[in-house]
Amino acid sequence: MHCRRFQKSPLSRRDLLAKGAMGFGGVALQALLSDQSRATVTNPLAPKTPHFAPKARNVIFLYMDGGPSHVDTFDYKPMLKKYNGRDPGEVIGKLAPTQFDNVGKVLQAQWDFKQRGESGAWVSELFPHLAKKEVIDEIAFVKSMTSKFSEHTFANYFLHTGSPFQGRPSMGAWFGYGLGSENENLPGFVVLNGGLIPPGGLDCFGSGFLPAAYQGSVFLPKDQPIANIKPGEKDAESQRRKLDLLSDLDRSALTKGYPDPQVEAAIQNYETAYRMQTSVPDLMDLRGESDVVKKLYGLDSDFQNTKTFGLQCLLARRLVERGVRFIELTCPGGNGDRWDQHGKLVDGHGKNCKTVDQPIAGLITDLRRLGLLDSTLIVWAGEFGRTPFAQGNDGRDHNPFGFTVWMAGGGVKGGASVGATDDFGYKAVQDRYEIHDLHATMLHLLGVEHTQSTFRFSGRDMRLTDVHGHVMKEILV
Amino acid sequence: MMRLLHALILTWFLLPGTAVLLRAGDVEFFEKKVRPVLAEKCYKCHSTESEKLKGSLLLDHREHMLTGGETGAAIVPGDAEKSLLIESIRYGNEDLQMPPKEKLSAEIVADFAKWIDEGAAWPDEPVPQREGSGGEEAFDLKKRFEEHWSWRDFSNSEPPAVKNPDWTKSPVDQFVLAKLEEKGLRPAEEADRSIWFRRVHFDLVGLPPTREQWGEFLSDQSPQAKENAVDRLLDSPHFGEKWARHWMDLVRYAETYGHEFDYPIAGATEYRDYLIRAFNNDVPYDQFVKEHIAGDLLPEPRRNPEKGFNESILGTGFWYFHEATHAPTDVLANEADIMDNQIDVFGKSFLGLTVSCARCHDHKFDAISTKDYYAMTAYLHASARQEVVIDENRVREKTAADLIAKKRDADALFKLPVQKAQVSAPLREDETIFEDFEGGTLPEGWSTTGEAFSAGSGGGVRFQSKAPVAQPGVVDSGLLGKKQVGILRSPTFTIETDFIHILTKSEKSHIRLIIDNYQMARFSALLFKGTLHNNLDTKGGFVWKSLSGNLNKYRGHKAYLEFIDPENGEILVDEIRFSTHPKPPAVPEARAKPVNQNLPAPVPALIKEGEGIANRLPAPRYAVAMAEGSPEAANVYVRGSHRSLGDEVPARFLEALGGATGDRLALADHVAAADNPLTARVLVNRIWHHLFGQGIVPTVDDFGPMGRLPSHPELLDYLAEDFVTNKDWSMKRLIRELVLSSTYGQSSKPHPDLSSGMLAEIDPANELLHRMRVKRLTGEAVRDSILAVSGRLDPQLFGASVPTHRTEFMTGRGGKKSGPLDGGGRRSIYGAVYRNFLSPFMLTFDVPSPFGPKGKRSVSNVPAQALVLMNDPFVLEQSKLWGRRIVEEYSTDAERIDAMFLEALGRKPDLNERNRIESYLSAESSGNQEETWSSLAHVVLNMKEFIFIP
Repeated sequence: MHCRRFQKSPLSRRDLLAKGAMGFGGVALQALLSDQSRATVTNPLAPKTPHFAPKARNVIFLYMDGGPSHVDTFDYKPMLKKYNGRDPGEVIGKLAPTQFDNVGKVLQAQWDFKQRGESGAWVSELFPHLAKKEVIDEIAFVKSMTSKFSEHTFANYFLHTGSPFQGRPSMGAWFGYGLGSENENLPGFVVLNGGLIPPGGLDCFGSGFLPAAYQGSVFLPKDQPIANIKPGEKDAESQRRKLDLLSDLDRSALTKGYPDPQVEAAIQNYETAYRMQTSVPDLMDLRGESDVVKKLYGLDSDFQNTKTFGLQCLLARRLVERGVRFIELTCPGGNGDRWDQHGKLVDGHGKNCKTVDQPIAGLITDLRRLGLLDSTLIVWAGEFGRTPFAQGNDGRDHNPFGFTVWMAGGGVKGGASVGATDDFGYKAVQDRYEIHDLHATMLHLLGVEHTQSTFRFSGRDMRLTDVHGHVMKEILV
Repeated sequence: MMRLLHALILTWFLLPGTAVLLRAGDVEFFEKKVRPVLAEKCYKCHSTESEKLKGSLLLDHREHMLTGGETGAAIVPGDAEKSLLIESIRYGNEDLQMPPKEKLSAEIVADFAKWIDEGAAWPDEPVPQREGSGGEEAFDLKKRFEEHWSWRDFSNSEPPAVKNPDWTKSPVDQFVLAKLEEKGLRPAEEADRSIWFRRVHFDLVGLPPTREQWGEFLSDQSPQAKENAVDRLLDSPHFGEKWARHWMDLVRYAETYGHEFDYPIAGATEYRDYLIRAFNNDVPYDQFVKEHIAGDLLPEPRRNPEKGFNESILGTGFWYFHEATHAPTDVLANEADIMDNQIDVFGKSFLGLTVSCARCHDHKFDAISTKDYYAMTAYLHASARQEVVIDENRVREKTAADLIAKKRDADALFKLPVQKAQVSAPLREDETIFEDFEGGTLPEGWSTTGEAFSAGSGGGVRFQSKAPVAQPGVVDSGLLGKKQVGILRSPTFTIETDFIHILTKSEKSHIRLIIDNYQMARFSALLFKGTLHNNLDTKGGFVWKSLSGNLNKYRGHKAYLEFIDPENGEILVDEIRFSTHPKPPAVPEARAKPVNQNLPAPVPALIKEGEGIANRLPAPRYAVAMAEGSPEAANVYVRGSHRSLGDEVPARFLEALGGATGDRLALADHVAAADNPLTARVLVNRIWHHLFGQGIVPTVDDFGPMGRLPSHPELLDYLAEDFVTNKDWSMKRLIRELVLSSTYGQSSKPHPDLSSGMLAEIDPANELLHRMRVKRLTGEAVRDSILAVSGRLDPQLFGASVPTHRTEFMTGRGGKKSGPLDGGGRRSIYGAVYRNFLSPFMLTFDVPSPFGPKGKRSVSNVPAQALVLMNDPFVLEQSKLWGRRIVEEYSTDAERIDAMFLEALGRKPDLNERNRIESYLSAESSGNQEETWSSLAHVVLNMKEFIFIP
């Protein structure tokens, strides 16, 4: 009687679905497939054909929660040094309201800058690993990004979903919707949570009005990375006995009078779920990774957060290898705060940079080594930048008017730099870009025309880019 | 060449359309400095040649510039400062910065300003015209109104004749059957009685039948067995719990505000309980609608049948379940976003209209203009959020009336020396008195909530032995004792000074300045420092308290003042000044010391008696609600930007639905009017959707042209009209008729006479209802059913919510205390809804995240659902309980298996199933019975039949 249906199966989910569906007659199936439940029957994560040939297949989004200071990292502004300590109202001009309304003096970069690589990109000493020639020349900077919001939550939702409100689909969900996933046993959108869930909460990774299949699954970098992945039975055998019985009872009921495709699909979900119980632990099992590789990511660092973020970056690579479409990394906590240094800038940014610098450099290097960099798009961005003047005397406030984001990998012109802020790094003045442009470009690189990828909701054809967005051609190969 | 130039300079041009004469030199300047920039930087989006015209603005002729685009004329010749073009290229207006990519150089901007200041010269050339009408059809409300079905009155449709009248039990069946017959189809066979019984249980109360209910139904052999069952379910208190939840999806019900810190929405659960009672009491839907829109204004509010309190006002709480952030840098934009959400909920929930699509431009498809949208905002500008006390047994109201009468008697027994309150010092320069309460009654435009301020400002006795006398000219929440509660609200004013000084005496009370309806300062004063005094204690004396701090940021903004006495305290307000002086004046002598007077007998005794009565008042219980503020017109925000004010619009209803002006109560009457074609249609369609799995209009929240057409338009109209005229808006009567219909009673298997090929051809999506649709249980019903079969279900109604159980994956700011794994056994509707910490179980089963109206949930089908039912500790725990109970209650294997199938699936296992289970049990049995049966219980909970209802 034990048919071992829940052993690892060489059949794909779609094969199984097709096979199971034959159980109640081909024509009936056709009739039923066009029922309301159609969307639930076809696998929503089945790979889809892009609009045009993609440059990249996967995205790793390095989310720098809190808003890194562009003038302390990549946007070199000598004028800040010249006017350090002066009244920003006099030097920079009229200032927009800031979140904390505690405007101090003009504050120079707290770290020295040098030009790096063949591209001559300006990088502050905060990023010694990223600054290495073989890494920095892979990166294209956008120094004129803007957001519309000064508040974390609005800006987080905006960066993640293109809308400042809760309940909209996150980028990762849109990528899953547009392209499907290459792996049937893992979610298409994985968030590797370093510890900090951004203000706005899990809805930053939600599927909004898109079907729930596209929502981000939050993985913790630990043995049981997601909820409910570990069976509660005392041994694997007893779970399998249960599932075999379940399968028989479900199929018996099907023959009795449940000719419904959604029931059939739900039965198939158990097979996928069962396989996920194996594929997820397999993902987390690093025994096959060499010490050299682990070191590259900083897993031997003396700083715990470097180890944590290094592990996240290594897992990101492993997820790319497994065909997961969109991987987002959030930052580890315990650095004083997220990149949100309203005070103690030197300490906080110092720790936050130390956390991510080596792991990100390792990730780029490792992906290139494996030949995966060309097909993986890496995006580094916070929800806004920080003010070139102090908040109080040792912090910086939120600045959505001009900041730096960067991209690397598939389709990106390494070594490029576009756009500029004014002499003080306060507002973008040349080639201003907005978040919608970032989204349009990311979709473009994966072969999706952002104006064509729509979902009908609330009487409108909704888009990740709303009614905006232009592809940033200047940084593309 | 030079000669030509000279000639030009000497020539004067008369430009078409204007009587302004311009010198040729200006034209030369234009050609050299202005036109090239226009061509290079603007014409991609703003010329007759543009591929896509933006903002309806053309810049390739002076005429076009004068006509302007959506934000109005681009130039005012002769006045650069007033020209929108200059404002936008200066990047002065954040929402209107052109060119968008890059600011023009300062020299170019100066050139444009000079050009306009000198008259905006343009050579005499033909006005270029854009081909077609510019790409988009002009907005024509009347045409759209006439062309779309849902604006029409009900069609007075009669149930059609059918060939097989024996099948029909209700006119509903006639409509459905007629369509089927027309297409050569026939209904499915009648569903098995037990399938119907289980179906109607889930649809009406969201729970599976209990063993006793099965027994009762199966033994009822009367022809009315189904009617009896339905009537019992409609009378069940659990009916309201099921149907309230549907409504909560529409009003994005939540108990926190989300955003960075997920602050609480006080009193939210009272709204949830209000809904449950309203559905249980079958409040007529028109009344229900009126209560939501203007329950605070109903002349005769509906009273709770048992406890007498005002139910109607609780409905208005729905307006305030929006998200909210602390410290918005642009408070007016924040207000506009919240109103957008409120109007979205209002429009879709009651009218099935996407009104908020008209926020930035006239609706792209619907007969809804931007002015319609902003006319709706006028109602919201004229309203105030409040926390209102639920006066059980009307004890506060009665006590107040009693004490006011007693006060009148006592006041007559002695004469308070007339002591006109002196203004402390003469008014200083640039200082005005906003209010001094000298009139004895509440000044014009001021309003109160609750009873604490109901005794006026006329002075006299106070029912407080320690401070027994009040002077006239002071509003005083302590006249009727300390335990009355209330809010005193000022009319809305424009902030013009940086300081507001308030002469007040307070204990445990609040003073709040509400700027642009911003309500979050109480949680975090960031950016609103000095605009409120929470829990103000003036140590028993009058002092001047100032509102200052960040107030200077909000000059020009609208605001009102609130004085709140929330519990066991008091607040007295003598005078309010708007001032440019940071320091308040001195406290006048008359206020500096308490009024001492030897009161003649029996006044002290009367005061003592009154105080005793007042002190018996219970602690207050609060709900969130709406209050009427100062009437206000609104401005259109051009292209949705509050920085670009357009025409003023009064508060009025949608033009397509009559456009009547009036207050919010009038609006409520228009929405709930019997002749409103949308309200009843939308509601009967929602009920249909919940019972049949798909609405007659499948897009339940959108009856506009972008929504889908009704599958059975005549049936929809019949139901709506019948609902209004014959059923008196009774939702229970409608539900009763529908679930007793033959249509609802069908099997979910097509009739055996119908070939699958035929169905695939004629009704592939089952739009015509040739069979019943299989429905998956909602997330709430999945969890509630698990609790019901395990025996853990606690059927208690109402009350505080049970905190969400937090797992290690639910982290982030604003975290709340974790609740029990099993939610205390309470039904899911009582689980807390913390926006940033929503229950993963519920989310997995498509319970919506509360951001906007959602009349139709998605029904996803994902492996995560399997993982939850397989491995979630809650499910495992409940399986254990169920297994243990089954072992305790039944002794043989056969009995136990039968009981499990009945409780969970409503049927008996067949022989194969029984054999298969028995072989499982024998393989599994380890000697521990409970363990074995818990394992089987877990399997049964995972059966598809458990959550897919045929």
